Amino acid sequence: KMAAAAAGSLRRAGWRLWRGRAVVNWQLCPPQRAIQASAVLRRVSDEQKKEPTVSSSQFDLHPNDYQPEQEPQGPHPSYTGQGGQESEDYESEEQLQHRILTAALDFVPEHGWSAEAIAEGAKTLGLSVAAAGMFHSDGSELVLHFVSQCNTKLCELLKQEQKKVQLGEEEKKPTDQFLRDAVEARLRMLIPYIEKWPQALSILLLPHNIPSSLNLLTSMIDDILHYAGDQATDFNWYTRRAVLTGIYNTTELVMMQDSSPDFEDTWRFLENRVADAINMSNTAEQVQSTGEAVVQGLMGAAVTVSSAEG
Amino acid sequence: AVALCPVWTLLARRGGTLRELCGSLRGLAAGPETHFGFQTVTEAERREKIYQVFESVAKKYDVMNDSMTLGIHRIWKDIFVRKMNPSPGTLLLDVAGGTGDIAFRFLNYVHSVRERQLQRKLRQQQNLSWQEISETYQEDKLKSLGDSRVVVCDINKEMLKVGKQKAQHLGYSEGLSWVLGDAEELPFDDAKFDVYTIAFGIRNVTRIDLALREAYRVLKPGGRFLCLEFSHINNPLFSRLYDLYSFQVIPVLGEIIAGDWKSYQYLVESIRRFPPQDELKAMIEDVGFFKVDYQNLNGGIVAIHSGFKL
Repeated sequence: KMAAAAAGSLRRAGWRLWRGRAVVNWQLCPPQRAIQASAVLRRVSDEQKKEPTVSSSQFDLHPNDYQPEQEPQGPHPSYTGQGGQESEDYESEEQLQHRILTAALDFVPEHGWSAEAIAEGAKTLGLSVAAAGMFHSDGSELVLHFVSQCNTKLCELLKQEQKKVQLGEEEKKPTDQFLRDAVEARLRMLIPYIEKWPQALSILLLPHNIPSSLNLLTSMIDDILHYAGDQATDFNWYTRRAVLTGIYNTTELVMMQDSSPDFEDTWRFLENRVADAINMSNTAEQVQSTGEAVVQGLMGAAVTVSSAEG
Repeated sequence: AVALCPVWTLLARRGGTLRELCGSLRGLAAGPETHFGFQTVTEAERREKIYQVFESVAKKYDVMNDSMTLGIHRIWKDIFVRKMNPSPGTLLLDVAGGTGDIAFRFLNYVHSVRERQLQRKLRQQQNLSWQEISETYQEDKLKSLGDSRVVVCDINKEMLKVGKQKAQHLGYSEGLSWVLGDAEELPFDDAKFDVYTIAFGIRNVTRIDLALREAYRVLKPGGRFLCLEFSHINNPLFSRLYDLYSFQVIPVLGEIIAGDWKSYQYLVESIRRFPPQDELKAMIEDVGFFKVDYQNLNGGIVAIHSGFKL
């Protein structure tokens, strides 16, 4: 009898819960998708608000939010919705991933370039640690994201400098000075993470990362030479890039085990390498012109001899 | 226990009828007809039949798994937990987790990750006083799992009983809880768990979409949904061999080892009735998960589906 009474009350409680849930589901079902789709992905402009107010114009904009098979698209142009409120698109998954990786960089000095750092980064954004499962478990994406960020920053820097030169606020630097400053500026961005940078280098050399890391490296060298005013269209294009890549890589390695104050030894090493490279190209020209002179001399001697005999 | 059993079946049957009523009221169910293996039954009948199947196989569940899959199911579950890559502090909900295989593997994994973390921390702290060292030992002793917890939820009391016995036998005491609950209506609050797993259980759920929606509900933002399930093989030759094995060998093994032909006939038929990989992926996306993907194991015999609540 006790069991029957208990069962009865359980049943009633269950029915109440069930009915309540049914009502909630029924009401929220149609708009539920848009709200669910925006549990974490924020509106591009809006930092704080997470839930959209119900207005039909907003739902029309969101078909690309819950169809992840399509390529995630960037933010679409906004327009004013019915309530006089600006309806903008939600950020894509890729943008959210970028946010997580940027947040994760703060934890690299402690946890290294790993899934743990990404998990900590996700936590600071209010996400569960399981969000780190979106990325590779060896931390590759974190390193690649950081390198790509540094390259973008370098590009900005060089562009600013170029603008100043064009406006006449600064003198145009000689090539060797320009290259030295550009490489130094880029390498200085590694200083906060210098302890764990060897780990990052080894991650960049993993076979499945090599295409991306090589791509990033070559595009960075490209940018530096472009802003240095390199107009070459002949074979020199390749030699210049190869030489500068060599200089950058060796300087990076020297920086790894440099313990001098503010990395003075590294910058001196860099100065010497750039000077060597420029000397080498001068010497090459000299050798070429000497060679030409020698050949011309021999030709002249041969002509003299043949005309003397003839 | 004997007195509780009839009460439970009573509840289940009454609950089934109530759900049927709700189903027709909400107009969400296509109709009360569904499948049980290759038979056509009503939803209520299906729930009851499945309950009885697992009630009868509970004691021999692990032995049968080993003999049917030749022990390979252990590898599948290991790969599953490795894919989850849980970090210490993760709260896992293992639904239909009956005998606790995934839960135990999760605890082992988190324990070893935590050990590695502590070792790394110790290695960095070489110059501490004895006082500080003893303090670190004390605080870390209390957190050998790092606050990770797993809740095993199953609809079947017998399976939970076997699981609890196993846990006691293997020595798992902390970080583990056992809850009786239905995957279509979980007894948990919203946004509570980091990871939701369902291993070889979603096949037995009558309304898969409801289970997926519950999964979405109880996960925190950024949380991960993982599903391990038998799936479809693309290769025709391999598929024929697999069918041969499934229909000729498995029920016979069931009869010899567990004395239960029909339950294992049901098992094999239910695998054939389950949606293939892409269809399940679409269902998961419909509920609102992002970055949904699947990984085939052993050519498609088993597939792991993963999605994130973003």
